[in-house]
Amino acid sequence: MIEESLNVSMTVDGAQLHARVRPRYLLSDFLRERAGAGGVHVACGHGVCGACTVAVDGTAVRACLMLAVQADGTHVQTVASLGELEGDVPAGRDGLTRLQTAFREHHALQCGYCTPGLLVSTALFLSQRKAAARSATSCASPGRASPGRACAGRAEILDHLNGHLCRCTGYANIIAAIESVLT
Amino acid sequence: MPLMTRRLVRPELVIDINRIAGLDAIEILPTYVRMGALVRQEQALRSSIVRECIAGLAEALAWVANPVVRQRGTVAGNLVTNSPGAELPAVAMALGAEFVLRYPDAEETVSAAAVLGAGNTVPPNAVVTHVLWPRRAGPAGFYEVARRDGHAPVVSAMVTLNDGDCRVAVSGVCATGLSCPTMARVIAREFPRPPRTSDLASALQDDLTGPVYCDIYSSARYRLEVAPVVSQRAAGIMTLWAPAA
Repeated sequence: MIEESLNVSMTVDGAQLHARVRPRYLLSDFLRERAGAGGVHVACGHGVCGACTVAVDGTAVRACLMLAVQADGTHVQTVASLGELEGDVPAGRDGLTRLQTAFREHHALQCGYCTPGLLVSTALFLSQRKAAARSATSCASPGRASPGRACAGRAEILDHLNGHLCRCTGYANIIAAIESVLT
Repeated sequence: MPLMTRRLVRPELVIDINRIAGLDAIEILPTYVRMGALVRQEQALRSSIVRECIAGLAEALAWVANPVVRQRGTVAGNLVTNSPGAELPAVAMALGAEFVLRYPDAEETVSAAAVLGAGNTVPPNAVVTHVLWPRRAGPAGFYEVARRDGHAPVVSAMVTLNDGDCRVAVSGVCATGLSCPTMARVIAREFPRPPRTSDLASALQDDLTGPVYCDIYSSARYRLEVAPVVSQRAAGIMTLWAPAA
């Protein structure tokens, strides 16, 4: 087994980091332990719950399913970069972003453990949706119509939320929060 | 990666193919669409080439996991993992896909069934570099039953029809993907009427090539009961076939 350390460098929330890590070191552990990014929450550890979702070069990634060495040379954004991920949205009341404000107003979190991952991937989902709207293509997955998915916006939100587990809210409030920023 | 984090596999060597240029291409050839091993599931789902040239694939891909996982997960990766909870083995078998295997000093093209069927696997000294999907326009239907929407299905089924030639394959019934020519005959005979699940259930018995898979969530008996229903619904979706817009 090859276990020698490798050099990695990446930017995490704007700060440049260089480190030597073992190849088996997960990006989620790297971000928490070496980059001090406590907003990366680790729950299931194998890609089911979505709590550790971060943006790697603008794509949503489960940090627990990527090795730190795979992120070498990339630009990683955690929930600490949420304003940036949401685009040019001005910070709302109390310095919260539009999405954070919506989550608070709709009581879309209780214990808050799943929230950072949800915010990061929802911010990316919203920007992809905006880009899709510009090119006039639907963001919804084709060919998977099922009852209760009548409204396109709602179907997209449900498809998106499929990748996140929340054990407190029952999802209704999270859906409402995301719906409120879609309009 | 999930297999490693759960300690289900402990590979001695892991090779990251993520930065190999050109391996993420989807190309149209005269009879096939050729997909590199790095093509992501979401990329394939949204590809106009896939939607126009491989009827049924984009519709099936929409059932795989969720957008975030599909943006990282590759089509070839889902196939070669060939787990009972992976959708794509059944899809590749029913669509007649082929794999390009690269050995240290040779290359060969083999059918999906030769790699994914019972007792088969990618040879230890080979890697899959491309998946070839036959170009087709005919109707297709995919359906699955999962314990939780977007998670690994208990059983999934893909049904295709090309000029009267019906093909059916299921995942989750055996430990690997399973081609079901007898169920296909039942569906072709009844099409466009819905096949009876009792007919499909007895046909499935003839199609079994090995022991029925079970895990702590779903017994073998349940899988045998639900597979004909899932196949019937896939056939029903095929009846209403309309390619994804």
